[in-house]
Amino acid sequence: MKLYDLLVMANRNLWRRKGRTMLTILGLSIGTVSVIVLFSLGIGLAEWQRVSMEQWGSLNIITVNQAFFYPGMPEEEMESLRLLNEQAVSEIEAMPGVLGVAPAFTVGGEARKGRDMGYLHVVGIEPGKMELMEFEVQAGRLLLNEDRYNVVAGSHVINNFIQHGVSGPAVGIGSPSEKDPPELLDRRLVLTLQNAQGQKRGYILNVVGILGTQFAEHAHAVYAPLSLLREMHSFMNRGAQQTQVQLVDSVNMQRDQAGMQRIQRRERTELQYSFVSVRTKNVGYAKQLGEELRLMGYQAHSIADQLEGIEQGTRIVQAVLGGIGAISLLVATIGIINTMVMSIYERTREIAVIKVLGASFSDIRRLFLTEAALIGLLGGMLGLVCSFLLSLLINIYAGAAIGAGAMGPGTSPVQISVIPLWLTVFALAFSTTIGIIAGLYPATRAMRLDPVTAMRHY
Amino acid sequence: MAILALRDIVKKYRMGDSIVTALDNLSITVEEGEFVAVVGTSGCGKTTLLNIAAGLERPTKGEVLFRNVTLNKLKEKDLVLFRQRVMGFVFQGYNLLPALTALENVALPLVFAGIARKERLSRAMQMLELVGLADRSRHKPMEMSGGQQQRVSVARALVSRPKIVFADEPTGNLDTRTSVEIVAYLRDAVKNNRQTLVFVTHDSNIAGIADRIIYLSDGKLVNE
Repeated sequence: MKLYDLLVMANRNLWRRKGRTMLTILGLSIGTVSVIVLFSLGIGLAEWQRVSMEQWGSLNIITVNQAFFYPGMPEEEMESLRLLNEQAVSEIEAMPGVLGVAPAFTVGGEARKGRDMGYLHVVGIEPGKMELMEFEVQAGRLLLNEDRYNVVAGSHVINNFIQHGVSGPAVGIGSPSEKDPPELLDRRLVLTLQNAQGQKRGYILNVVGILGTQFAEHAHAVYAPLSLLREMHSFMNRGAQQTQVQLVDSVNMQRDQAGMQRIQRRERTELQYSFVSVRTKNVGYAKQLGEELRLMGYQAHSIADQLEGIEQGTRIVQAVLGGIGAISLLVATIGIINTMVMSIYERTREIAVIKVLGASFSDIRRLFLTEAALIGLLGGMLGLVCSFLLSLLINIYAGAAIGAGAMGPGTSPVQISVIPLWLTVFALAFSTTIGIIAGLYPATRAMRLDPVTAMRHY
Repeated sequence: MAILALRDIVKKYRMGDSIVTALDNLSITVEEGEFVAVVGTSGCGKTTLLNIAAGLERPTKGEVLFRNVTLNKLKEKDLVLFRQRVMGFVFQGYNLLPALTALENVALPLVFAGIARKERLSRAMQMLELVGLADRSRHKPMEMSGGQQQRVSVARALVSRPKIVFADEPTGNLDTRTSVEIVAYLRDAVKNNRQTLVFVTHDSNIAGIADRIIYLSDGKLVNE
């Protein structure tokens, strides 16, 4: 029997009972929707990870801070509070999975650009480490070792400067730069620092480079050589009194107060970095090392942590979908078997007749298998259409919930459900296969029908 | 050589606890080109005889020879070929496929024989013309009378140009006039092509058109 004839015949037979066929197809489509959306979420999440890596900050970089002191902290913890000093930096650098570390100082102060004023957040970094920490410029250059008062500005730093005498709505975070970032190139910024003793000191900084817009994390700071920052930092710390801290809810006021003083004394006597950037080999190490560093007594976070939360959430949804999918597919398969068996029962006479006309066992079997496969295919197609709709809805909802551009300036809205072409093909092949599997038992039964007995009794 | 020879055929069935003998030591020969009618009352075993002769059932004992091939010993795949190419069957209850048109119904045996669509349909049309229903080719069985359906059934049996045609009470559900017409169609078609026809009926009047009549009673031949 020719394939074309087989298909035409099978199709004709299916639509003899429109309602029944459509219900069976509907049942199967529900199962396939679950499976497709399940996969689409997995794909979307992987895609989102990739994109966020490109746009927000590298997933490979951990930012390490000294751990918080909090009221009620037990004695042992207070003592073991790790300081971010040179020793700590070398310790961290030696950990497995670490490609390199870049310790940093930060200061902040008022700055002048021409006649415009603004606040500057300055981060010190070893010039040689800039590439390692995945800095990239859109104009100018990165820092060199011989730089002293040269700095590299983030893409949005230019927005910090408000025209002298002009007040207006501040440029919001998350929108593209109002002014053209490269404008800041080769400009001079005059930074004024004021320390606790009330002393002021001015620094003239040359902007030799503007960072690219890929990493939103870097957009708002100015990066200067570490040596300069060491100087600025020690100036800031000079004569710093113990900071009055409001201790609320403290059980033992005296003990906590004494503890805080001890820590601050240590901070003043030992050289401490504001934070340390750690470049790891890959995301897996980033997560693992983050854990280890936290156990060691530091604060450590990377973008990878954020993703973990989203990943977990998506995994739960996937598990639910997987459960629904599996169950509904099972039920749909049973539905197909039932439909086919009923169909064979109704057509017993017909089957007997065509056997007499010269249909072989395999002809009969193939005919019914094809009918079942067609149900599978049609169910898959319907499921696919519904999946696209559902996927669209999910993306709209997710976009609203997480917020477009929440990942930083210049990012595209979240698409957590993605259905690529291969998934479409896979889904159709899968549903057709389900149809064929369901059809095996009925088709074999039809095949074994004895024409004479069939004619006699039906 | 006879085209069809049944030798010492015995057929027994199990019905509940008892065993029923449908055919009791039958031997029949049919020559090529003959029109043989098998006549008997209901339950005498004539349908069983036909089924065995056509290779649809296997006898409990005995042989069925088509020319020199023992039908009842053939493997299923060879039997399928026999049904496709050599044999034509006209059922009592027409048994046309309700979803197909008259033309498609007639062409059906050729579908299983793997014949291409164009050729199938042209041969089917020829057959429909033969039985005078060319203008009904696109009608479904539901849209035709009993007589018309049976004519389509005849056309279907003949489309594969079989050597031998078996007809199981083809006029059973029809009125006399239509019955006579049907049998006439069959006879003409068969005679023109040197085909053999074995025809089962309970109506001895219709049987009169045949070359030879075989009478059957309780599974045994009855001498004329």
